[in-house]
Amino acid sequence: MADALPEAFLRAVAEGFPADFLTLEPSELEEYGRDWTRVYSPAPSAVAFPRTTDEVARLVKLCHAHRVSVVPSGGRTGLAAGAVAARGELVLSLQRMNKLGPVDLLGNTVRVQAGAVTEAVHHHCAEHGLTWPVDFASKGSSQVGGNIATNAGGVKVIRYGLTRQWVLGLQVVTAQGEVLELNGALEKNNTGVDLRQLFIGSEGTLGIITEATLKLAPLPGRQDVFLFAVPDMAGVLSLFREARRAPLILSAYEFFTDKCLERVRRHRKLRSPFDAPSSHYVLMEAESKEASEVEAWLGSLFERGLVTDGTLAQSPSQASELWALRESISESLSATGLPHKNDVSLPVAALESFCSELEAVFGARYPGWEINLFGHIGDGNLHINVMKPEDMEKAEFLAHTKAADHAMFELVSKHRGSISAEHGIGLLKKDYLSYSRSLAELELLRTLKRAMDPLNILNPGKVLDV
Amino acid sequence: MVDVPVSCRSREYPLFKEKDVKILVTAKRVEDPESKIKVKPDGSDIVREGLKYKINPFDEIGVEEGLRLVAKHGGEVVVVSIGGKEVQEQLRHALAMGAQRAVWVNHTGALDQMGVAGLLQKVVEKEKPDLVVLGKQSIDDDQNQVGQYLAEYLGWGQATFASKVESLESEQEKSKTPALQVGADGKTVQVVREVDNGLATLECQLPAVVTTDLRLNLPRYASLPGIMKAKSKPIEELTPEKLGVDVTPKVQVVKLASPPERKAGIKVPDVATLVDKLRNEAKVV
Repeated sequence: MADALPEAFLRAVAEGFPADFLTLEPSELEEYGRDWTRVYSPAPSAVAFPRTTDEVARLVKLCHAHRVSVVPSGGRTGLAAGAVAARGELVLSLQRMNKLGPVDLLGNTVRVQAGAVTEAVHHHCAEHGLTWPVDFASKGSSQVGGNIATNAGGVKVIRYGLTRQWVLGLQVVTAQGEVLELNGALEKNNTGVDLRQLFIGSEGTLGIITEATLKLAPLPGRQDVFLFAVPDMAGVLSLFREARRAPLILSAYEFFTDKCLERVRRHRKLRSPFDAPSSHYVLMEAESKEASEVEAWLGSLFERGLVTDGTLAQSPSQASELWALRESISESLSATGLPHKNDVSLPVAALESFCSELEAVFGARYPGWEINLFGHIGDGNLHINVMKPEDMEKAEFLAHTKAADHAMFELVSKHRGSISAEHGIGLLKKDYLSYSRSLAELELLRTLKRAMDPLNILNPGKVLDV
Repeated sequence: MVDVPVSCRSREYPLFKEKDVKILVTAKRVEDPESKIKVKPDGSDIVREGLKYKINPFDEIGVEEGLRLVAKHGGEVVVVSIGGKEVQEQLRHALAMGAQRAVWVNHTGALDQMGVAGLLQKVVEKEKPDLVVLGKQSIDDDQNQVGQYLAEYLGWGQATFASKVESLESEQEKSKTPALQVGADGKTVQVVREVDNGLATLECQLPAVVTTDLRLNLPRYASLPGIMKAKSKPIEELTPEKLGVDVTPKVQVVKLASPPERKAGIKVPDVATLVDKLRNEAKVV
């Protein structure tokens, strides 16, 4: 059990905040102390639930005065343990700060509190024909503040880019408890270094995001959802080359292997989408420009043997069913076993050679182990999940994967890729950061952290050690 | 006579086709459950703007079962839908799944179950199928009446709620005897249906009307080649006038209303509090 909070701190909280502000309930500590990674044991000292920015600022000031470490916490759907509180930190949950402001139809913006659930923002804006195009499988739980703090990616990046592109203004509480209003709702503001960008992707180490002005896009037109069976990884990439040139606006190009599908089917009790099994599948979502051109293109895929089977969703329900095959993978792997997750990105052009070299690395490191590959292949983003063999102890498994990760990251580094495409660094990838960032970069990052949070109370130990 | 090795005597794919069967399947256009359904403030209808549509899932199961029967026996699946020209989308979906051709009864006004059954009766008399397969109900108004009316109008036997025990298409499931089987002589159909205390098997003389339950099968996805082929498959257009059916509704919708909104649940810390709340607040124990 973690150290208890200082008496004086607890007294100040009891005096200055509502009765339901702080909880020490063990079941709540357990729940709010962890995210979707299951590697670390949660051990926070308390969980606070502010309702306003003022409460956040006053709490952080108190934490600063009493040197209490804070883990800012959103929907806790992260996969790199960025929101894990394993060392007696105070968890600052933003879930009660979930207000949605009115949609500005002239500026195409909306102001929301950090605890707003991503999907709630989507519903709120859809009524006006607009959307915040940050979209991923965990949208029903993930929160805007967490999305921004991790610069989340997701399934529509190929069309819309990362979260960073869709944030106009931020309200941030600093480590000293000061409230910053950054950039308001301005599209253009050329007045020097854009501080807002420092906080996007900082994983809660530089400040706590409390509100944001989000940039909105018009809801896209009718999206066609396709599922293709392709023979192998090279087939996934050659189909992507074709799709890039097709008369379509791609909004998702995802792939997964038969092993992923097998786990999904086992967990979700789904049937196989095609009569004949295939080793690789591609899920493609696109807006068709001209139906007849798209048909001719689809026909040519079969003629040229680029796909062995395929379907096009005939209704929104079917589109959701097809998406479920892809979106349930992460959840199904965790529910049916213990996955060791990696989330790397590579220049798309380097994917094919990376994948074949990866096979050699895995063949030597993980002989006979189950390795599940899936991801947003259109963005060069590959999710690599190694499953713990049934008869192996967890500790042995983790030690083994740690060693193998170094070999894999060497490969990523060689191809000038990133060791974390969209999951962030958190605790999980901290030891590997130097594969993607130079020593000079790391030193600059440390300088920034020391300047902005000299007492190291904001999400200490995440991303890098000071 | 040549002795056929036992391994070749597959039940699913007999060496000799027994008899071609002609199957008429309905494909009603219904609101997709992914759309949010709202009742208009005056209660006259639901809000139609922005709604998405699909084949009634029970009908889709009927199309799938029809296709499986035809794969076994030979024959054809003809799919029928009633409505404005937009119902052609649902007909194309069924054609993309593999149905051979379609009949579209072009009618845009209100219809009640007698009107629908009356139109289907005339289509049946024209098409002369061995079997009519309908969803047991449509997911828009959940009435569960048309199949039964149709059988009565035609004077045919009916077997409602054809079902299997499991919903999963496991290997085990695939090797099980289908819930719908046409007899070797092509004169009867055997139908497994779910009843309160288990399963009952009915045998009907053909021609007959069968309605499908949710657990009969899992419909296939239309393949891309199937979707493209469907565009050139024939859709025959008929109208109530051509069929000579008076579809003036005898049943009128007076008013639609949303069910009362469910209140959010609460969490209780322990069993004692739960029992106390059940006893003193809900007064159910």
